[in-house]
Amino acid sequence: MNTIRLYCKSMAMLIRSQLQYPASFLLQTLAQLIMEGGELLAVILLVRRFDHLNQWTPGNLYFFFGLMSVSFYLTECFGRGITGAFPSMVRTGQLDTLLVRPRGVLTQALCTAADPRRIACIAVGLVSLFRGSVLSGISWSVPLLLLLAESIFCSFWLILGLFLIEAILCIYSVKSVELANTLTYGGRSACQYPVDTYPRPLRVLFTVAAPFALVMHIPAAFILGKPVWNLPAWAAYVTPLAGIVLFAVMYLLFQAAMRHYRSTGS
Amino acid sequence: MSYIHVEGLCKSFGVRRKREKGALLRKKETVRALQNVSFDIERGGLVGCIGPNGAGKSTTVKVLSGILTPDEGTVTVGGRIPWKDRKQHVRRIGVVFGQRMQLWWDVPILDSYALLKDMYRLTDDAYQKRLAELTEALGLKDMLHTPLRQMSLGQRMRAELCGSLLHQPEILFLDEPTIGLDAVSKLALRDFLQWENREYRTTILLTTHDMEDIAALCSRVMVLGHGQKLYDGSLSELLSRYDTLRTITVHYDDVPGPIVFSDGPRVSRQGKTVQITCQTDQLDMNEMMPLLQRAGAVREMTIQPQNIDHLIAAMYREMDL
Repeated sequence: MNTIRLYCKSMAMLIRSQLQYPASFLLQTLAQLIMEGGELLAVILLVRRFDHLNQWTPGNLYFFFGLMSVSFYLTECFGRGITGAFPSMVRTGQLDTLLVRPRGVLTQALCTAADPRRIACIAVGLVSLFRGSVLSGISWSVPLLLLLAESIFCSFWLILGLFLIEAILCIYSVKSVELANTLTYGGRSACQYPVDTYPRPLRVLFTVAAPFALVMHIPAAFILGKPVWNLPAWAAYVTPLAGIVLFAVMYLLFQAAMRHYRSTGS
Repeated sequence: MSYIHVEGLCKSFGVRRKREKGALLRKKETVRALQNVSFDIERGGLVGCIGPNGAGKSTTVKVLSGILTPDEGTVTVGGRIPWKDRKQHVRRIGVVFGQRMQLWWDVPILDSYALLKDMYRLTDDAYQKRLAELTEALGLKDMLHTPLRQMSLGQRMRAELCGSLLHQPEILFLDEPTIGLDAVSKLALRDFLQWENREYRTTILLTTHDMEDIAALCSRVMVLGHGQKLYDGSLSELLSRYDTLRTITVHYDDVPGPIVFSDGPRVSRQGKTVQITCQTDQLDMNEMMPLLQRAGAVREMTIQPQNIDHLIAAMYREMDL
């Protein structure tokens, strides 16, 4: 309980410190809006040209895009300490200062950074999600809303877990490893679209290794009333948990890696 | 058993060298940062640790504070092994890195302290009492609402110190705390450390390059070099080994006449001032005074031992560091 309070307090403080530079904050938020707006534009242009992608209507595609945007940027907003700041903390030796405090390293890493500018991207994602759900004519019910929330929640942990790979690698090599980005940013770009539009190797990658399909696409397809791979209804509620499993595995690996941490600087 | 017990401590790092031309793989080289270091520190001790850059001072502090796991050796601090039970261990220690800020940069320091309070799970009472006491002793009262970035280096260091002592640690590790500070800030910092040590029997281990810190604070000094402990004892005893030179400066009323010593002392003259350098075993004022006075009327005279930094440099040279 105390940990959650600590995290909330840290977030409040970080957001306040960002607002110390209001002009910079506004401009950067605007830049984020344009950037993510551009991504959405790509989807809009796509659905103008083709009236469907496999069995997916334009509304469905908006829904998938929105789900990814909201999940990914929520993670970047609140998990900045792992998604962005961690490699540089290892490189500069700032990680030492976390190690001399009586809290978990990951907890503290999460407490040291936030990126409230991402709120613009989240907003774009919400608009797309809403538009998609209207166009697809989803008849919302409580279980469906809960499923959507579960999917976003589990996606948060999935993406955080994927970013942990980079954190683990940079403990060993001190320098950040770009390779890990293929799963995180690559996964985001690819899985804005439903996974069944891709050839088999990519489908396997995003189902087994980086299970975006399990966490986002299966529940989304169920919400849209077009369950994939003939899965039963309960499966849509279970598969998102893969995100939490992945995070748990990465968490354990991270703990093991921390034992190899060697610190830098004087 | 003593409060801090270190025995046979070894730690080495693998460093990757730049890839040589033609070679396929980069060569790995092992740097032995600590080799078989042992020492004990009692509760309430104030110990200084000196040594040239790369001697292993920071590595020692990092092992003691649980950041690094050593390769070999036993280390206990207050009965606990630092790296085994990190969270329990760090609850009782405070660490200040002279070159690394631990407080948040853009927010008032009071907000940082409030966060530390939650981090260490301090009670309101204990926190308020300690905060009032520390801000008083460190002269931070008027700055509690100032963000760290608007502070001078000296103020920042005091703010850092306050932050790392809020939870009333039993041990304080300071890694080059006076680096870059002006004279006033240095003196204030030393006074405070002495006060904290006296008041709460806080064990303090500091590493520094500033010999004045050691002279002012520490009854005991350890010298590290090439990862080994080379000396452990009082500073005065250490210095007396290397304290072999005296400089005598004599100011005359007028330009003095010739001054000739039989052998040994070197004389250099500049106008009305004469400077004589000699080994301590050649120094005999009974003999020298008449000679000096014969050359002219002496206005003022000082006899100085060598600067403490020179002594340390001489020591490092002798120990081949």
